[in-house]
Amino acid sequence: MPKTTAHQLASPQANVFALLSRYRTYSIFLILFTILANGLGLLVPRVIAAGIDTFSLTQTVPNSLIWEASAIIAGIFVFSFAQNVLQTFASERVARDLRNELAAKISRQDNSTIEKLTPAVLLTNLTSDIDAIKTFIAQAVAGIVSSLLLIIGSSILLLITDWKLALVVLLIIPIIGIAFRVIFSRVQTLFIKGQEVIDWLNKVINESILGSGLIRILDSQNQENNKFAQANQAATETGMKILGYFSSLIPIITFTGSLAVLAIVVLGGNFVINGEMTLGSFTAFNSYVSILIFPIIMIGFMSNVIARSAASYGRIQAVLQTPDPIEAGTLSADHLQGKIEAKNVSLLLGPKTILKDASFTIKAGTRTALIGPTAAGKTQLLSLLVGLIPPTSGSITFDGKKISEYDRTSLFRRVGMVFQESVVFNMTIRENINFSQDISDEALQKAIQTAELSSFIESLPKGLETVISERGTSLSGGQKQRLMLARALALNPQVLFLDDFTARVDLKTERKILKNVQQNYPDITLISVTQKIASVQDYDQILLLMEGEIIAKGTHQQLLQDSPEYIQMYESQKSTSQYEVSTE
Amino acid sequence: MSRKRVPVNMKYQLSNTTSSSDSVLGAVRSFWPLLRHQRAQLVGALVAVVLGSLANLLGPLVIGYTVDQFIETRNFGGVLQAGGVLLVIYIAAAIASYFQTSLMGAVGQRLLFTLRSEIFVKLQSLPLAFFQQNKVGDLISRINNDTDKLNQFFSQGLVQFMSNMFLMVGAAIFLLILNPRLGVAALLPAVVLFFLTQFLSAWIKQANAKSLRAVGGMSAEVSESLENFKLITVFNRRDYFRDRFSEVNEANYQSAISAGIANNTLIPIYGLASNIAQCVVLFYGLMLILQGNLSIGLLVSYVSYVNRFYDPIRQVASIWSTFQVALAGWDRIAEILGLHSDMEVTSTSAKTVAKKTELLRFDHVSFAYDQGKDVLHDISFTLQAGKTYAFVGPTGGGKTTIASLMSRLFDPTKGRVLLEGQDIRSISSQTRTQKIGFILQEPFLFSGTIGENILYGNKEFGQLSPKELEKVLADFGLADLLKRFPHGLDVTVGSKGQSLSLGQQQLIAFIRAVLRKPRLLILDEATANIDTMTEQLLDEILAKLSKETTKVIIAHRFNTIENADEIFFVNAGQVKKAGSLKHAMELLLKEKRGS
Repeated sequence: MPKTTAHQLASPQANVFALLSRYRTYSIFLILFTILANGLGLLVPRVIAAGIDTFSLTQTVPNSLIWEASAIIAGIFVFSFAQNVLQTFASERVARDLRNELAAKISRQDNSTIEKLTPAVLLTNLTSDIDAIKTFIAQAVAGIVSSLLLIIGSSILLLITDWKLALVVLLIIPIIGIAFRVIFSRVQTLFIKGQEVIDWLNKVINESILGSGLIRILDSQNQENNKFAQANQAATETGMKILGYFSSLIPIITFTGSLAVLAIVVLGGNFVINGEMTLGSFTAFNSYVSILIFPIIMIGFMSNVIARSAASYGRIQAVLQTPDPIEAGTLSADHLQGKIEAKNVSLLLGPKTILKDASFTIKAGTRTALIGPTAAGKTQLLSLLVGLIPPTSGSITFDGKKISEYDRTSLFRRVGMVFQESVVFNMTIRENINFSQDISDEALQKAIQTAELSSFIESLPKGLETVISERGTSLSGGQKQRLMLARALALNPQVLFLDDFTARVDLKTERKILKNVQQNYPDITLISVTQKIASVQDYDQILLLMEGEIIAKGTHQQLLQDSPEYIQMYESQKSTSQYEVSTE
Repeated sequence: MSRKRVPVNMKYQLSNTTSSSDSVLGAVRSFWPLLRHQRAQLVGALVAVVLGSLANLLGPLVIGYTVDQFIETRNFGGVLQAGGVLLVIYIAAAIASYFQTSLMGAVGQRLLFTLRSEIFVKLQSLPLAFFQQNKVGDLISRINNDTDKLNQFFSQGLVQFMSNMFLMVGAAIFLLILNPRLGVAALLPAVVLFFLTQFLSAWIKQANAKSLRAVGGMSAEVSESLENFKLITVFNRRDYFRDRFSEVNEANYQSAISAGIANNTLIPIYGLASNIAQCVVLFYGLMLILQGNLSIGLLVSYVSYVNRFYDPIRQVASIWSTFQVALAGWDRIAEILGLHSDMEVTSTSAKTVAKKTELLRFDHVSFAYDQGKDVLHDISFTLQAGKTYAFVGPTGGGKTTIASLMSRLFDPTKGRVLLEGQDIRSISSQTRTQKIGFILQEPFLFSGTIGENILYGNKEFGQLSPKELEKVLADFGLADLLKRFPHGLDVTVGSKGQSLSLGQQQLIAFIRAVLRKPRLLILDEATANIDTMTEQLLDEILAKLSKETTKVIIAHRFNTIENADEIFFVNAGQVKKAGSLKHAMELLLKEKRGS
């Protein structure tokens, strides 16, 4: 009965019990040790009874009996120890493997999928959800096996002793089964909701930490506290509701069990009085029922664990069943020249048009600037060119071949990208720059020197081995930006994308860096999103993007003749350029 | 006091070592305030436990009585009466059981609520330095995972613990009264258990502390990788995530195994003790019988009574581990709760006489992060009300640090910062933040709509409807900026500002700061990713701000600072007046970068 209940409860999402079949050896031994430890436990009263019987006849206790008792006691100890150790190993193994499986799944996804699933939820999946499954393996498996064993055993004994009374007593099993089902169907959704509230809590905490600076500047701690209190309140309410169900389930189960005892006393008493049953059978019945009731209560407690783990397993399965992105590309980019062509590229995000019908060609080894006002779609265009997101329509080719035809790994080895926002990891500077891990020392040094990081690194007591704090809080904006550039350059890329790289680097350093890039990476195809016309005047091509459309393309001189928008933009920066010119 | 060395206590790094020296009692004592307001519920649960246990003990007695008095005398009416009594007892037991679970579970849930709140509120009270020294994932783990360990003990363990203790003590007394000598023999293994448990507890707690730490580490790794997933994909390092994760996962696995084994050792040992006790009683009892001090019948029942004592003890074995896990979790929680901000508002110091026009002054300020070398060294300057100041200089020169000191994100290591002549440390955070607006270099958005982000933390306009907000924006001359949000202000954004460009995020930060009408507005490269034409718009808006508003602009792009009344050049921890923009340019091009 309990087994079918478990199946029914798990069926809506995922069956946690199916997990066990993947760990057959563990499961078999775990069940075996549980049976042995519990079975041997049943022998103890018999040995004691035998001891007393022999003693009352002979006034002595035979040595053999002492040995037998010691062996049984030692056996129980060994098997229950083995069972406990094994369930620790089994549960942790399952948890570890599931985590790795999830991590592998996550690692195959596109960035957009990760953002859709949201890091907060994935964190809950990897921690709290897997914990619930771990508890299931550690507690529920052995608990259910031993309970089933006792229920079946005592049921058989009851049936043998007096089948009529036994049938009445065993009526409690379907009653308890129904109680389980009713409560489970309600509690299951609550457990899922409970995990979703944990996602919510994670998100609030996460944001309050990432935004800690802003919160302190705005003195908005109270607002954050209120946000958290809301999520926390919801967590407590869900917890209380779950508690409400279980605090009624447990008394229902024990009370139903007690009714069986009552039935024995009244009905059995009647049978004895009528002479249909001996007093001995009556007494035996009573003790068998007490064996029957304990495991039923046990299953009541375990049901909590099972319901929670089933909810969590469902959430994990949902992530594991996310389809992998199709990456059919096989083309090697090892000999990439760096010619890039966009044909009628459009991008829609939901109902919003981000890019409209963009077409242009970037020759290998040339420098192209992408300029335009805020929210024109520059960063999105860059993401398309790098292949981070696919265009809604149109095509983007590298050396005449579509991005999708390339093997991703091979392509990303030849394409460097510096994002607008700085991303640094809590690792050493060397590891941060050598993020691709297969970079020669020479390439590393060249990248550092090009990014004008040498003197900064030299100024640090531990140099390249200095560990950067999480989110790079120990670095200035410009230092992080240069680190990002060094990381991209260390790949020795054929194509380099810079997204507003110069925004955080001072003029002098910027000049030096751009000169260094030209010197050290002469054949590179450079695509640079920027605000400053002054720094890209001598570029081979300038693309002017406005409201998702490329409204002008050409060299600086050409645009000054053809494009009123470009001229307007140029004029707006002229006052600045004057200083720049003066320093040439 | 101005020159006195103020020790910077930025040691907010949460420890990575175990502090298991504290006694159980100490932990419970430090913990009690969190439970105090739930005294009534605790007492209620205790009463339910006692009543439930009594009902459970009473049942068998009634049955025994029924057998002797009614069944053997073939009195069915009596049997029915006894059945009625039993029914009452069972109903009472069920009610008691309901209250046990619900009261104690509620205590656990409310405790969980209180703990989470306390930690979160504590986090909010700590300065920025704390967040720079600790990892997001580990903090999340402390707030969610560690508190849940305490909840588990309280909602599940404590009731069972209490009811088992009750049964155990009752059984022990019964055993001793029934036959003192046998009683001592029966309880002897329990005494051994008691000392063994004492001895093993430290180890169990330590193993669990290590495991909880590993969970925190794993959580930190997951957070960092997932937040930066875009970079991971572009740099072909999906394996990086897998490898780093599998490393922390493995570490977590190892420590969890140690903790699991530690948690499970007591159970078989308690079982063993229980079986040994039965045998001891049996053989000692037989010896007593030989001496004529005991009857066989009594021995038979005595052996079964021994179980009444050891069954609850075996339950306690697993609860005790839950308790140790909870203690280990509490240590990690208490560590946060025990932290104190070293940036409290000091009592108002005597107001230095300041000229009416003076807004902010740096008085021989030095600053160093942690114990490192000075980022700023002995800096003094004054900002006059209503003027515009530019701070320029190479990257890593200390500009952002100056801005952070102005807005008291940090306190100076030496010297002081004066706002309107008053030490900034003695000004309440509310007043300070009202007067000082700081647009951070890296904009941050909360998940919510653009409109909500604009009004975030704004007490005056916080409750505005989108329509009203648009009107207010127009009043502030900000309406033109809305064109940069072609899809309106109701668009939802994620915490990393997905689907908004960095320039748009900077605009939101700008609007947010302007709407607060600060006396001092600091822009730290706040428009770096905004195109020059929009930037001109911002300049116009800034120019139209109240005459009282002092502006501090940190930039290396010079078009943003053309209109500055004064330019400061910041390099290698020093600040000097640059005079003209041209001079600043020269300095920037000629001076060697400090870093």
